[in-house]
Amino acid sequence: MIGRVTQQTIQRSTLTNLQRNLTSMATLQNRLSGNTMITKPSDDPAGTASAIGLRAELRANKQAARNIDDGNGWLTTVDEALTGSLAALLKARDLTVQGSNSGALTDQARSALATAVEGLRDTLLSQANASYQGRKVFAGTTDAPKAVLVTAAIPATTLPLPGTPAIPATYTSTSVATARVERRVDANTMVRVDVDGAKAFGDGTASVFATLDRIALALRTPGADVSTELTALDAHRDAMLGELGGVGARQGQVLAAETRALDTKTTLTTQLSGIEDVDLALTIVELQMQEVAYQAALGAASRVMQPTLLDFLR
Amino acid sequence: MSTFSGLSTALSSLIAQRQALEVSGQNIANANTVGYTRQRANLASVEALSSPSMFSAGLNAGNGAKVTSIDRLGDIFLDARVRAETGGASFAATKADAYARLESTVAEPGKEGVSNALQEFWSAWEDLGNSANVDAFREVLLENATALTKRISAGHAAVTTQWSQTRTELDAAVVDVNATATMVAGLNQSIRGVLVSGGSANELIDRRDVLITELSALVGASGVQRADGTMDVMVGGNALVHGDTAEVISVSGASTTMGATVSLHWGPGGTGMALGADSGSVVGMVAALGPADATGNGGILAEAGKSYDELATALVTQVNAQHALASTASGAAGGDFFARTETVPPTIPPTYSAANLKVAITNGAQIAVGAAVAGAQDGSMAAVMAAIGKAAGSPDAGWTAFVSDLGVSSRSATQRAAITETTRSTAEKLQMSGASVDVDEEAVNMLAYQRAYQGAARVLTAIDEMLDTLINRTAV
Repeated sequence: MIGRVTQQTIQRSTLTNLQRNLTSMATLQNRLSGNTMITKPSDDPAGTASAIGLRAELRANKQAARNIDDGNGWLTTVDEALTGSLAALLKARDLTVQGSNSGALTDQARSALATAVEGLRDTLLSQANASYQGRKVFAGTTDAPKAVLVTAAIPATTLPLPGTPAIPATYTSTSVATARVERRVDANTMVRVDVDGAKAFGDGTASVFATLDRIALALRTPGADVSTELTALDAHRDAMLGELGGVGARQGQVLAAETRALDTKTTLTTQLSGIEDVDLALTIVELQMQEVAYQAALGAASRVMQPTLLDFLR
Repeated sequence: MSTFSGLSTALSSLIAQRQALEVSGQNIANANTVGYTRQRANLASVEALSSPSMFSAGLNAGNGAKVTSIDRLGDIFLDARVRAETGGASFAATKADAYARLESTVAEPGKEGVSNALQEFWSAWEDLGNSANVDAFREVLLENATALTKRISAGHAAVTTQWSQTRTELDAAVVDVNATATMVAGLNQSIRGVLVSGGSANELIDRRDVLITELSALVGASGVQRADGTMDVMVGGNALVHGDTAEVISVSGASTTMGATVSLHWGPGGTGMALGADSGSVVGMVAALGPADATGNGGILAEAGKSYDELATALVTQVNAQHALASTASGAAGGDFFARTETVPPTIPPTYSAANLKVAITNGAQIAVGAAVAGAQDGSMAAVMAAIGKAAGSPDAGWTAFVSDLGVSSRSATQRAAITETTRSTAEKLQMSGASVDVDEEAVNMLAYQRAYQGAARVLTAIDEMLDTLINRTAV
């Protein structure tokens, strides 16, 4: 059907076209000012689903980074404590070797060595109770106040005769072998970040503290031989070295995960930006074109709408 | 043929041209009136009186001109097409509007949406798992959980509000339909009266047709022209207006409960036969208000409410089940993390209400993150809890599916609305190209009538001079 054209039809179609131009301009302007391609799900339903998924992954990645930081803190604390303990243990071994030179030492000298050994035992104790953010790193998941609970020694008494014999101090590790502290460093990798105190320092009479106590007692007892404890000290040293090696390996794993998490974050951010962010150059050019079209429509409208035959009749 | 018949011939032309000029004046006056259809004065020549008698005086000229009718230059087929397209377009527009409004309350994708609140919630579990001994992290988790429940219940409340607002709009629209139908019936009566007495009812017809198009937009009405000049208004095959009588329509269904069945009926009180309309905004509103069904194709609002309930159910069920497996610092098994408020009516298996979703735990110490066999500061179960968010069938996955479905539906509804609006405006443009006033055309007509009037006046003067010669100067 060939339409008859009247002022009203021109007016109506001009308005429709101007409205359409303005709508496109508003959409582009909205995109530019909000800097996002997706303001509501219907803008891009598939993109919306991807964006929600990517945001979730980004949040999980951020959380993994926090877990890694926390795990790294634990492992660093454990590493420092074990390194310190190992140095103290080696010092104690030197003193024990010195003490086993029974012929060359006076009782006073042996007693002085005993005091030094006891000092090293206290150093080891404080290392074994090392803590990270309020948690004892060698106590696993227990809420015990210390990783190694100490019952003080009771010296031998002479009264009432014949007197009670001395009772040595006892050392109890509060860690539980099965209760490990683990951190999730990426989507499905858990890394152990603590060390079982009972394994690193031994438990009860087999603990490094009890061994050092026995050495100190032997040094105070004239003529006693301390060299018999060297084997025990070496066993402790090996245990500590073993744990230290494990800690090093796990710290390596955590640091690798940190690098990976950083890479993943970059990738995810890039992908999300690709879906959500506005291509500025493209949008600005589109807006410019739309503006030209709008101005052209306005110009055409102003020319078409103004004159009628009445302007020319006299 | 009398001496003075030339005078009456000129006079008939003067009268006819003046009338035609008045019609042009009416057209120009209504150039911008909505719904006005241009008119044209039909001129016809008056035949000569020739009596077949003995004294017949030979050949005579005709007896001038007369206006036989004032025609209304509308096209009932174009009008019918506009009505049909208007019903479809306003149905699609109502649906698209409902989707757009729903989308704005979902606030996805972004930081204000439910998915972000879910992420914060899961992360808070992991933070607490890392530092199970720090009470601050328990408080952070409780805060995040409360924020999540509030976000979900606020989303559900927004859907409920939209439902009850649409329900109110529906009531108003039905009142509008009934009032418009009554007005159409009244106009039909007036038009019949005017036409019977031989007058021109063009302006009344214009007004009636605008009202019928409004009814098309509301309930998809169509018009049937009758011989006496009235127009019947049909909805779903039955007459809403028949001559000068109008029927009423009504709504049935609760006005406060989302998911109630809402339907349109003939007659008052919402108890009559179903209306059977299939287009128009009223029908669009009823479709949006419908209850949810098993296939997910029910009313969009009730379906959205159901999706919120499903999210709440997944969250309550999965989090509570996992929480019960963990132990608190004091070794007790975890109780309900989220309160179990069932939807009304209850279902089997139970679904939990999004509107009343709340955190059941009041005190951070009640949060269980430890494995049963581990020490008091164990947080290993928190990582398992956080993993729920990534598992298949997680609340997150269900929510993402809902948002993306909503996006797809909304997009197609918007596109459909745009297409039907284009068809409607094309039909309207065609109607207007026939019916609207062209000022240029009217100016030309005015010129023609004015010149013809001047000519008739000149004829009058010529005859007058002729008679003057005969009467005053002959045989004096």
